[in-house]
Amino acid sequence: MEHVHDERAGRRESRAGVVLAGVILGGLAAAAYAWWAAGLAPFSLGATVAVVGAGGVAIAAGGRARRPAPRRVTIWQAAPWIALALAAAAVQLVSYLQTPRDDHPTISSLTNSLLDSQPARAAALACWLALAVELARR
Amino acid sequence: MTAGFTVVAYAAIVVAAVALELTARTREAPGLGEVLAAALRIRPVRVALLAGWLWVGWHVFVRVDWQ
Repeated sequence: MEHVHDERAGRRESRAGVVLAGVILGGLAAAAYAWWAAGLAPFSLGATVAVVGAGGVAIAAGGRARRPAPRRVTIWQAAPWIALALAAAAVQLVSYLQTPRDDHPTISSLTNSLLDSQPARAAALACWLALAVELARR
Repeated sequence: MTAGFTVVAYAAIVVAAVALELTARTREAPGLGEVLAAALRIRPVRVALLAGWLWVGWHVFVRVDWQ
């Protein structure tokens, strides 16, 4: 009996090791890819394919490992978050419709200055991909 | 609106989101993750949110002139 337990525990440990190795290798590959993609010329077809393609792969990968169904959330429970999202959208829209952009910054015009260097862009791209997986898992 | 006012408005929204998340944890109300998870179980919302996420990536990482 003890032998069977030991064998199962060993199998569980080796499976956890394989998963951990996969996560580390996947993370390294994603970081290398993000570095490469962040160096592509803006507005180019190559950059579009590299970013949107990787996002699509991340969403597909997340969709294959869905989390268990969440607990029920009523519209009233979600209302504060919906109100906050609408407020953010309103500020963004009001800024977007006005010029000059320096006086009326949008979220993307603010992030553009933060993403000026390739390391910052690569890190942000890797985070965006990780969040795409996480969103698709839910 | 001036640039300063707009930045303060964005910052206030971020602070409110953090406060809401912390409040949710202490009062057993749903946090952002739970609300998103529930919304993502509704197929049209799921398609819109994931497509929106792809658009955000394209807009931020492709349609920007940093060079």
